[in-house]
Amino acid sequence: MIHPRISGLFLIGFITLSVQCFGQVSEQDSSEIIQEEEDYSIYDNVEFSAEGVKRFCSPKIEGLSPAKLISFGYDYQFGYQISADTLNTMQSSTAFNLAPQDAQLLRSHGMRMGFNIPVISQTNLVWQLGANYWEQRYDFKDPGSLQNPLLKSLSDHGLRTAGISTTVFKPLDEKNFILFQGSADYSGNYSLKSMMPLTYLKYSAALIYGKRPTELKQWGVGLARTYRVGEINYIPIVLFNWTDHANKWGTEILFPARAHVRRTINSRNMLFAGYELEGQSYRMWNSSSVDGYDMRNDELEIRRGEIRLRMVYEFAVKDFVWMSIQAGYRINYRFDMDRLIGGQENYRAFGLIDDTPPYVMLNRLTNPLYLNISINLVSP
Amino acid sequence: MKKLSFIALFSFIAILIYSFAPADGGDRLLGVWEPSNGRARVKIEKIGSKYFGKIVWLKEPIDPVTKQPKTDKNNPDPSMQKTPLKGYRMLKDFVYDGNNEWSGGTIYDALNGSTYSCVIKMTNENTLNIRGYIGVSALGRTDIWKRVVVKK
Repeated sequence: MIHPRISGLFLIGFITLSVQCFGQVSEQDSSEIIQEEEDYSIYDNVEFSAEGVKRFCSPKIEGLSPAKLISFGYDYQFGYQISADTLNTMQSSTAFNLAPQDAQLLRSHGMRMGFNIPVISQTNLVWQLGANYWEQRYDFKDPGSLQNPLLKSLSDHGLRTAGISTTVFKPLDEKNFILFQGSADYSGNYSLKSMMPLTYLKYSAALIYGKRPTELKQWGVGLARTYRVGEINYIPIVLFNWTDHANKWGTEILFPARAHVRRTINSRNMLFAGYELEGQSYRMWNSSSVDGYDMRNDELEIRRGEIRLRMVYEFAVKDFVWMSIQAGYRINYRFDMDRLIGGQENYRAFGLIDDTPPYVMLNRLTNPLYLNISINLVSP
Repeated sequence: MKKLSFIALFSFIAILIYSFAPADGGDRLLGVWEPSNGRARVKIEKIGSKYFGKIVWLKEPIDPVTKQPKTDKNNPDPSMQKTPLKGYRMLKDFVYDGNNEWSGGTIYDALNGSTYSCVIKMTNENTLNIRGYIGVSALGRTDIWKRVVVKK
C-alpha cells in the first residue's frame, strides 16, 4: 500500500509530465501551420542591428539551371568517316610518307564523369574544386585494314582527358563580381599502364568581371586561355545569363564556349537549344606501330575541336537528382595533328601569327548526329 | 517507505525543474533576419522547443506576371502552389544543440521548390551562417544572414 502523500506526488508528477508531452505533440502540429495573422507591414521599415553590414550578389540568377555537383554520363556519336592525311613536313628520322587513308567509324563513344565540390561556399566568397574524366573510344568498321598510324592508334587506344579545376566567385558588392575558372587537363591516348609525364598537362583559365544588375540578369566580360578548338588560344569571352519576368525563357551564355536559349517548363523541367565548343589537345603517348613507324617519337598531338549544335532536356528525377538528355549534330572544327616538342605550344592566334609551324597532318571528319545522357546531383 | 518517498520527491523536483526551466541560449536565434541577397526577411520564432522561420517581407512581393502577391508556385506539390510566400514557413524544426548551433531542421528554397537539410550557426549575436546541404554538409552552400530590427 502506497502512502497517500506519495501517491499525490506521483499524480502531480504524472500530470506535469503529461502536459510536457502534450506540448511536444502540439509543437509538431504547429509546424504544419503555414500562415498566421500578422501585420507584415511593420517589417517594411527595418535597420541592421550591427553597423557596417555589406550585401553581396549571388553567383546565380533566378531561373538558371542548377549547377551539377556530381555527374555520370555517356556520350555517343553515330557513324562517320575519317580521312587521315599523310604525315607532312616531318623532321624525325623515323618519319616517312605514310599513305593517306579513309576509314568508316561505326561509332565513337565513352563515359564522362564530373565532380564539382564546394570548398568555401559563403556569401562573400564561393570556391569550388572539380575533377573530371572523359573518354572517347573509336569503333572502326574494319579495324584490321587500318594502315594509317593515327587511325590505328585511335582504334587501339582511343582518347581520354582527366582534369582538375577550380572556380572562384568573388562578389565585390550587391552588383559587381569577379569570376575565375582554372583547370589542368591530362589529355592523350595514355592508359593506366602507360601514363604520360605531367609535363604534358594543359592549363586553361578564364577571368571575368561581371555585373548582376537584377535578380534576372547577370553579364560579364573577360579573357580566357583555352583549348576548346583544339589548340591554345587567348580569346575575349562574354557571359550573359538572363531570365524573363515570367521565368519561361532565358539565356545561358558564355560566348564563345557555349550559348543556349532556355525554355523553362517549370522549375524542375527545362529545355535548351544552342551549341557548345568542345575540344582539347591530346598527346599521342601510346603509339600503334605501323611498318616500324612509332608516332611517339615525333611528339605529336591531336588538336581536336568540335561544335555541338544541340537540344538539351534537363529534369528532376527526384529531389536533387537530375537527368540531362542531349541530342544534336557534331560538327568537326579541327582534328589535325601538331608536332609539339616537349609539349611546347604552337600559338597561331587563328592564323594571325605567320611564323608558327604548319600542322603535320590534316584530317577531315564527316559530321554525325550524337547523343549524350547523364545523371547528376545538383547543387542547392 | 522513506526511500520510496525520497525517490518520488526527487522525481517531482526534477520534473518541476525540467518543466519550468528558463529559456536557454537557443532563444538568441529569435528575431528577424535578412539573407545576404536582401530579397527577403525571415522571422524566427520558437514553437515548443523547436525553432521555425517564416517569410515576413519580400523585396519584390508582387508576381510580375499575375500582378498578385507572390505564391509558392515552384512547389512540387500542386496543392501548395497558391500559398502566399509572405508568411511561408521556410525554416522548420530546428533544435538548439548548444555551442551556438541549431540543427535537425530544413530550409526551403522557393526559387526551385526544393527543401534542403540545414544547420544554423550563430557567429555573433547579429550574424547567422545558414548552411543548406544535400545529405552531407560538404554538398551544400552557406549564406550569411544579418539581424534586423524594426525601426521605431
